[in-house]
Amino acid sequence: MSAVLVIEDDDRIRLSLVLALEDEGYEATGAPTAEEGIAAQRRRPADTVLVDLMLPGIDGFECIRALRRAHDVPIVVISARDDTHDIVAALEAGADDYLVKPVAVKELTARLRALRRRARAGAGDEVPVLRFGDLEISPEAGEVRLAGTPVAVTRTEFQLLCELAEHPGRVLSRHQLLQRVWGYDGGDERLVDVHVGRLRQKIEDGEGAPRHLVTVRGLGYKLQR
Amino acid sequence: MRRAGLRVRVVAGFAAGALALSATMALASYQVARQSLIKERERTAVRAAYDDAAVVRIGLGATTRPDVAAVLRVLDTGESRRALLQRQGNWYALKADEGSTGAIPVALQQQAAAGTASVQRIRTGGHASIVVAVPLAPGDVFYEVDSLRELEHTLSVLTVVLTLVAMGTAVLGAGLGWYASRYVLRPLRRVADAAQEIAGGASKYRLDPAAEPDLARLTTSFNHMVDELSARLERDRRFAADVSHELRSPLQTLAAAASVLERRREHLDERTATAAGLVTQEIAHFQQLVNDLLELSRSDRPAARTTTDVADLARQVCRERRLPATIVAADGESRWSVDRRRVGQLLGNLLDNARAYGGGPVAVSLRLDGDVGRIDVDDEGPGVSPEDKPLIFDRFVRGRSAGARADSGGAGLGLALVAQHAAAHGGTAAVLDRPGGGARFRVDLPGCRP
Repeated sequence: MSAVLVIEDDDRIRLSLVLALEDEGYEATGAPTAEEGIAAQRRRPADTVLVDLMLPGIDGFECIRALRRAHDVPIVVISARDDTHDIVAALEAGADDYLVKPVAVKELTARLRALRRRARAGAGDEVPVLRFGDLEISPEAGEVRLAGTPVAVTRTEFQLLCELAEHPGRVLSRHQLLQRVWGYDGGDERLVDVHVGRLRQKIEDGEGAPRHLVTVRGLGYKLQR
Repeated sequence: MRRAGLRVRVVAGFAAGALALSATMALASYQVARQSLIKERERTAVRAAYDDAAVVRIGLGATTRPDVAAVLRVLDTGESRRALLQRQGNWYALKADEGSTGAIPVALQQQAAAGTASVQRIRTGGHASIVVAVPLAPGDVFYEVDSLRELEHTLSVLTVVLTLVAMGTAVLGAGLGWYASRYVLRPLRRVADAAQEIAGGASKYRLDPAAEPDLARLTTSFNHMVDELSARLERDRRFAADVSHELRSPLQTLAAAASVLERRREHLDERTATAAGLVTQEIAHFQQLVNDLLELSRSDRPAARTTTDVADLARQVCRERRLPATIVAADGESRWSVDRRRVGQLLGNLLDNARAYGGGPVAVSLRLDGDVGRIDVDDEGPGVSPEDKPLIFDRFVRGRSAGARADSGGAGLGLALVAQHAAAHGGTAAVLDRPGGGARFRVDLPGCRP
């Protein structure tokens, strides 16, 4: 059974989500504030965290950053806000996915399953180390090194990097990446763009055009040596 | 009758003004030139006549019976002058010329006979001439007729020149008027361009009042009007967005709670289960309505075009609705530059519409024709009545002919969104009759060639 932590200040939403997720077979717990949520996650780590953006005290963005610093847990934002600005900010803070309220429970569980599948993937595959110049990716160990130095990446970022690394020099469209990394057939392509942006901050030297992770205008992304 | 345009009137006014002015000037200068030329000519004629008269007087006084013809022959009268002598009632002339004696006015003859020298302008043989009468002795009068033919020629040349100048000035005036009106109308054209830009969706477009200080009031009020309009539009949009937004949180609770009810339906008694089913269904519709309203409130956002395989997208949308993907037919290039999300929603709404009112979709055809991507969604329903066709893309409109199936739960926003998504691409949405019965919804999206 998979554990889900729901950080949501609206009592009715929190209660109904916990009830519905329990019905779907999850072990769901609720936290009304970011502080309580972060503490609960430290006490007893859940497999997935759902976070609302508008929280009293520490807001959702800060909450995501705090969770991300301490845990490698998939974080899904559920918010009533659907501005591109908010979505990008939440993903940049470290969220793996962003859903706009109201979310149907079926859709929510489908996404949670996709995230879990990805979390399990990677373990047990016998894949050698992939090299792209000074960038080394070892899918088996779940490690990324840039010029020998380990780079800390989230699970989603790692999945994205592996997907591109397994097709060296080939262009993958945003749609394909959404399908393969997030497991969505259709969805918000900004997810891909923001994660690529975050990944670039970690694996590119930050000066001039990206060397490894290249945008192919109108088509998608590719990883090159 | 249509009133002539401002431009035409300004040009005509300038031309007429220039013509009047130049004609007056030409007429005046013609008169002045003519007067002074004639006066000068007269003076010359008189002087020459007196000189000749002196020669004739001396010639006549030399002998008691002088040879008049010989005396006259001494005179050097040139081309234009003719000398005549009236001696005791007889006329003597140097050149044999019948008409010339008759041309001399009787009044002049009488005046000269009375001993007064005089000058008169006459017309003879179709030309103007000057007659100078100089009495020599009682009974003897010397006349000299000086033709003004050359002067007349000069004046007629002058007339032609001045007429041409007047006409040229009028044309120049018209040109000046054309240029001036263009210059004056330029700021107005800028206002018109701005209005067009704003109507086309560039709501941030404003005029610079400093660009044309004389029209500052126009540009300021124009900008003010646009500000007011966009503020009002923004308020409307905000209201729709706020309402939908506020509905989202309670809807989340409803959606989650409904899923709990739905899962336990078989444990409920029949009445409760039916009620729970209704609640769940309505929540789904409500959710769709709120999402559509939010989408409509974002009408100002432009299409975010990326290269998209629309055939793939259409098949995916079909699969999501459990429709056979084989109804999708793509003709030619299926990779279009469109807003993937919007086109996906557009296709979904057209398919939903066909399912709700048209007995289900039978074909989705995609065709890239030049630059324009054409999407046709056909159904086998009763079609759309002609009076419903212009209304069907309006918000909350459900066709009269579709009234019978209104319980299918369409919120009436689906086709409005289709039109909006088409418009975001600069395109159009229309409903036609499908050959062989049913309706054909057609969306044309320009700028699709990647």
